[in-house]
Amino acid sequence: MSEPQSVTETKTESEPTTRTDATGAIDIDHLTKIYDPKGEGVVAVDDMDLHIEAEEFVALLGPSGCGKSTVMNCLAGYLEPTEGDVLVDGDQVTGPDPKRGVVFQENRLFPWKTVQENVEFGPQMRDNIEDGRAQSILGEMGLEGFEDAYPSGLSGGMQQRAELARLLANDPDIMLMDEPFSALDALTKEIMQKKLIEVWERDNRTVVFITHDVEEAILLADRVVVMTARPGQVKDVIDVDLDRPRDPEIVTTERFTELRERALSVIREEAQRALEQEESV
Amino acid sequence: MDTRRRLVRIGSVLAVPILWFVASRFGLIPGLPSPGAVTTAYIAEFDRLDFWISTIQSTIRVLVSFAVAALVGIPLGLAIGRYSAFADLTFPALEMLRPIPPIAWIPFTILVLPAAELSIMFITFLGAFFPILLNTVQGARSVEVGYSRAAQSLGAGSFQTFRHVIYPGALPAIHAGMIVGMGLAWVNLIAAEMVAGGTGLGFLTWSAYTSGSYAVIIVGIITIGLLGAASSTLVRWFANWQIGWQEVEAA
Repeated sequence: MSEPQSVTETKTESEPTTRTDATGAIDIDHLTKIYDPKGEGVVAVDDMDLHIEAEEFVALLGPSGCGKSTVMNCLAGYLEPTEGDVLVDGDQVTGPDPKRGVVFQENRLFPWKTVQENVEFGPQMRDNIEDGRAQSILGEMGLEGFEDAYPSGLSGGMQQRAELARLLANDPDIMLMDEPFSALDALTKEIMQKKLIEVWERDNRTVVFITHDVEEAILLADRVVVMTARPGQVKDVIDVDLDRPRDPEIVTTERFTELRERALSVIREEAQRALEQEESV
Repeated sequence: MDTRRRLVRIGSVLAVPILWFVASRFGLIPGLPSPGAVTTAYIAEFDRLDFWISTIQSTIRVLVSFAVAALVGIPLGLAIGRYSAFADLTFPALEMLRPIPPIAWIPFTILVLPAAELSIMFITFLGAFFPILLNTVQGARSVEVGYSRAAQSLGAGSFQTFRHVIYPGALPAIHAGMIVGMGLAWVNLIAAEMVAGGTGLGFLTWSAYTSGSYAVIIVGIITIGLLGAASSTLVRWFANWQIGWQEVEAA
């Protein structure tokens, strides 16, 4: 049951299996990240392999401290792998790129720019600000009337929507989201999840969504990649065969429960292992 | 602010002239001119061209030196705060020079620089430069790496990140440095003018001392104080205008 099929797939073929018309396929190839390799050498990610199709929605799920964020930082290009590669559409990731947009856990809207200036930041970097585009994206995110507000004047949910708007204005192939909704209240979270699925289905982007919330992962993703406790590796890949659109009520269905139990059992096992690891140190 | 606090504050301001009046009236401080005598001296100074030239000269010296200090200190501080290799190269040398009280430079600069004017400006510059530099370095270092990363992932290059993230992120600290720097610029200016001589409010006050005009000394002190307060207010205004976003945050 916990046989990681897609993992073995990527191990055998290093060439990405991208459809020619779709962009945003990701190959994580023997990714290893060791912090402070000359000193104590904390292995955050150990020889991880994963292939993500273009336009796929993949959730990375794992206990805290499992290296999810490290993987994300390598995908974004903020960190250089100690060993192995991260490839996007066959090209090696060497640094941050506007094709790979990032939404952070704590909002990273620029506090010194208005909401509109934040949203127009990406286009501005390429001297490509279109009149009205920011407004229409903000309108779509339910933020009309807040164009001239500063981020500090927005609620947590609105800040997260503004950050999503900033990402969409930049039109990335890949959206990397690091626990983007974990700080939101349940209702706001549900609205944001719906919004995210809406734009994902419409715009054909690849989404890599990090979360420690099992239900959120299953509710949103095509595939849930469960990671081991540190050092991070792929423990299990769960294909979520639930039809879309998925209502919040889907969590009560039998299939959802099965998937959740499967994910939870892996996570429990790993959490336990992590605990023992800590105790033995 | 409630009325009581306001009254206390007004009382605090009024206490100075009242104490002054009492002290001069009852001869508590021998030689202290009365507020009336100083007012008369002030009015007399208004008619003297020398007073106005000194006032303007000192103001220009402070503003020019301060502007140069900001124009050098802010970019240098941002670069030091941002690039550790550049910091290693320059910061230890600057840190070595910093503890030297700027006034200690006066004799040397008068000898070395071709004009006393330059020497005075240099000393004034030093007063503003180090607070601005140190605060800017601190400010640039304190900008969360997440903001730079966000900018880079939105397509910002190195310079754009610098301009749109590091600089605005460091602005509150830069302004704090500018406010302190403006105060120290006046301190150093007056000291330099007293020693170097020639013109300026520092020299005016000093020459009043040598000629024993007690009232004019007080006129000099008051004028310097007023100009110092006005320049600080100017910097604060500028700072608030430049970072409207922080006002919003504070509200």
